[in-house]
Amino acid sequence: FRLNIDGLLVCFPYDYIYPEQYSYMLELKRTLDAKGHGVLEMPSGTGKTISLLSLIVAYQKAYPLEVTKLIYCSRTVPEIEKVVEELKKLMDYYTKQTEAKNDFLALALSSRKNLCIHPEILHANIVVYSYNYLLDPKIADLVSKELAKKSVVVFDEAHNIDNVCIDSMSVNITRRTLDRCQTNVETLQNTISRIKETDAAKLQEEYRRLVEGLTEANVARETDMYLSNPVLPDEILQEAVPGSIRTAEHFVGFMKRFLEYLKARLRIHHVVQESTPQFLKDIYEKVCIDRKPLRFCAERLRSLLRTLEIADIADFSAITLISHFATLVSTYNKGFTIIIEPFEDRTPTIANPVLHFSCMDPSIAIKPVFGRFQSVIITSGTLSPLDIYPRILDFRPVTVASFTMTLARTCLCPLIVGRGNDQVAMTSKFETREDFAVIRNYGNLLLEMSAIVPDGIVAFFTSYIYMENIVASWYEQGILENIQRNKLIFIETQDAAETSMALMLNKNKISCKRLFISFSFQPPVHHYGRAVIVFGVPYVYTQSRILKARLEYLRDQFQIRENDFLTFDAMRHAAQCVGRAIRGKTDYGLMIFADKRYARADKRGKLPRWIQEHLTDGSLNLTIDETVQLGKHFLRQMAQPFRQEDQLGLSLLTLEQLQSEDMLQKIAQIAQA
Amino acid sequence: MDEEPERAKRWEGGYERTWEVLKEDESGSLKATVEDILFQAKRKRVFEGHGQVRLGMMRHLFVIIDSSRSMEDQDLKPNRLTSTLKLMEFFVEEYFDQNPISQIGIITTKNKRAEKLTDLAGNPKKHLAALKKVVDSTCVGEPSLYNSLNCVALPSGTEIKEILVIFSSLTTCDPANIYELIKTLNALKIRVSVIGLSAEVRVCTILTRETGGSYNVILDESHFKELLMLHVKPPPASSSSECSLIRMGFPQHVIASMSDQDAKPSFSMSHLDSTGEPGLTLGGYYCPQCRAKYTELPVECKVCGLTLVSAPHLARSFHHLFPLEAFQETPLEEYEGERFCEACQGELKDKSVFTCLACKKVFCVECDLFIHDTLHCCPGCMQTDRTS
Repeated sequence: FRLNIDGLLVCFPYDYIYPEQYSYMLELKRTLDAKGHGVLEMPSGTGKTISLLSLIVAYQKAYPLEVTKLIYCSRTVPEIEKVVEELKKLMDYYTKQTEAKNDFLALALSSRKNLCIHPEILHANIVVYSYNYLLDPKIADLVSKELAKKSVVVFDEAHNIDNVCIDSMSVNITRRTLDRCQTNVETLQNTISRIKETDAAKLQEEYRRLVEGLTEANVARETDMYLSNPVLPDEILQEAVPGSIRTAEHFVGFMKRFLEYLKARLRIHHVVQESTPQFLKDIYEKVCIDRKPLRFCAERLRSLLRTLEIADIADFSAITLISHFATLVSTYNKGFTIIIEPFEDRTPTIANPVLHFSCMDPSIAIKPVFGRFQSVIITSGTLSPLDIYPRILDFRPVTVASFTMTLARTCLCPLIVGRGNDQVAMTSKFETREDFAVIRNYGNLLLEMSAIVPDGIVAFFTSYIYMENIVASWYEQGILENIQRNKLIFIETQDAAETSMALMLNKNKISCKRLFISFSFQPPVHHYGRAVIVFGVPYVYTQSRILKARLEYLRDQFQIRENDFLTFDAMRHAAQCVGRAIRGKTDYGLMIFADKRYARADKRGKLPRWIQEHLTDGSLNLTIDETVQLGKHFLRQMAQPFRQEDQLGLSLLTLEQLQSEDMLQKIAQIAQA
Repeated sequence: MDEEPERAKRWEGGYERTWEVLKEDESGSLKATVEDILFQAKRKRVFEGHGQVRLGMMRHLFVIIDSSRSMEDQDLKPNRLTSTLKLMEFFVEEYFDQNPISQIGIITTKNKRAEKLTDLAGNPKKHLAALKKVVDSTCVGEPSLYNSLNCVALPSGTEIKEILVIFSSLTTCDPANIYELIKTLNALKIRVSVIGLSAEVRVCTILTRETGGSYNVILDESHFKELLMLHVKPPPASSSSECSLIRMGFPQHVIASMSDQDAKPSFSMSHLDSTGEPGLTLGGYYCPQCRAKYTELPVECKVCGLTLVSAPHLARSFHHLFPLEAFQETPLEEYEGERFCEACQGELKDKSVFTCLACKKVFCVECDLFIHDTLHCCPGCMQTDRTS
């Protein structure tokens, strides 16, 4: 039906609407009106996607000059497909309503197999693709740089956006990368000498172009045509490519030298951590490589590859990576750190040197996006605490809001289990991790829950190693065997594909008898749980040097204390895990936090508001027995017949109900900044 | 349901947090409790029950009772099994009371097997005796939904149209793909309903949805009883089921007088396969078609397959064919007339009064329920019939 959102007529393809969707659209409209950025948190399963799409499309139709394009970024291919599905529904509805031909062009870029047809992207009204197309400088340059300024960018499922940003700017170099790069360099050399014999003019032409400098790109930037590329810093556009790497042979020679230097750096026996200026100084002293040519590395390589007409760029991924590294390292003084580790911490005897060139500032990668587009919306089911995202991504949002879920019945039941039946505190704190009593109590909790929860339970552990330890210990104590009497056990491996394969094969068995033990760092690949148990607080591995460096940087640059960030990170993991218990309003699920530390205000307060709301004081420090009782009661209550009529008027509205006065008042309370 | 279902005793209920329930009520309509919704559903059910729908009168129902390990759980007192069996006895009695010419069979499942406790039969005694015996058995292993459903569906040509599963476990141990079996059940037009004792299990949801049955999960013992009683009423006959005439025999009970010297005690046909009961009797019911002798009615003749019933039996299930129409509800303020109930002669004090559409007599809420649930005929109409 048609809605009136603050003066804007929105076509909504469903007969009913959730009150929070209405509220969400209101906030969204405000953000667009102000041409600013927004951070919006709304629980999963309440129809975020369709609200976003229908409002922005309506906005586009109403003010075609203000907003020309919607760029919708999601994380994974299935999510993109879901968006496309909703979009189709919306478009069908539009065609039906107006009975006119729809002139909207929507384009989805999911995988390489249906990779973009470049010019079309310019004309499409809606573009749906993955984060990387916009954030990763390597891809963004190909796909997104010509997107119009008056676009609205939406990052859906954006709770991990800072990590995506960091990953897109970080480079890890192992010995294998260097070896492959070596081969690349040799291939380049051979190709160059071949071309020199056959078509020397081509190389000459390239040389001439480089003398003139990258003026073309510069003109483009000044006229504001392109999305600026963080790998292509402003200064180098002003200058010509330095003479030392202008000819193809010289450049290859230069790369060779650089490569040798990196190889030498990897031959170490102790950990080295240094800043980018230190690294540059060292490279100048050792192999006389100046900062300037390094900066042009990425651009020069691209030009060379273009000149040599090499079709299969994938083969040259190693050398491209190295050239990016060279440019980044010489461009940014701040926000990056270089750590060279001779071996992994887990296997100190096996030499496996890695050079981590790690980005510590997520705002670097996302800065061009915020700078270029008039509205950027960051949204997800779990973004709490909301104020931290603007801080770490370094932008100023005009709207920050969190929406709760209006429910006809309390269909989520968060419980914090703090003690076992023997009153021993349950926690995954480092000191008590190996404690026998804690492990046993965790086991008992899972065992008891497996006896009362129907269908599936998803159990999350704080880390992969911790899970292995605990499961092994449960096996010895016979707990695992008892659990197996109630449920099948799946232990998720680190390989996501393998896990989903196993799930597919056992789908029938799963339908009758299911339990998963899965590990928290991967997004879960399944949706079978009636209960989610989070064992311990999923803090990241704090001993990692990269993390330490990042924490230090956050403290120095953004005044975010280490502890705050760690808790924030842990809680968003936990919220993300338990959020999986509920897929929609008719669904229901138990959320069990098995660690007494969750009861503390600093942890609890960082959970999304829609979970916090249902977390009563009475369910903060439960024993296993109490949990079982509450769980049993909850599950029985939820199993009572529940029809759509029961929701109507409370959490599901028709158009008439929506327009009533007191409903509008209620809706006003849903959003909270 | 002649007595008001009593809430479970305080100490029998689970670990409750009464203060939380109170809080939810206060905080306005946004947090409507589940019980509210339940109450509305109940009211609706009362009305639905009175529509003019064709009901299947001859019912063939199989009850599958889970008696796996989970039945030892003590959340029903003294434990789930004992409580269930007690209610089942009650159910069987009620069932035959309201569906006199119907049959019932009981299956238990435990230890991955299904065991036929009683075969399909129309006599409550045998079932009750069998149920009493089960009380002492131990609950072990897992139930098998597949095996027990298969046990019912397998004999081809069965006229079973209903299965009721009382399912306590959260798991089932199946030898084959149960979804295939559900398809078969659907093809055979067998309605499967499930009463869950612990929580909503997905496989049961699918099972009931596909076969058109109902799926309920109990809250406590009194709710359990209520749910069970819902299955006493015959379900609406599916439109596809044949509306055929059924041959029935009405045998007279023949008692050879003691003075008759020629009378010889003889075996009844129903004793052929059952042992333990006294075999030889003097009198009995004789099938009008083949003269086979039976001691009890109703029964299906083992020789010629004729359904043997007694006329009073049939009369008792008559009301299902013509259910009494729902009375019209009017608020008390709008009602003008003498303020006393036609049935109990009490004063009308409740919020609303009920008027029979045929005879325009007025009844109170209690009497309305009694008339529709127990009497099945309007006393007002009866009176006018007689006088006219």
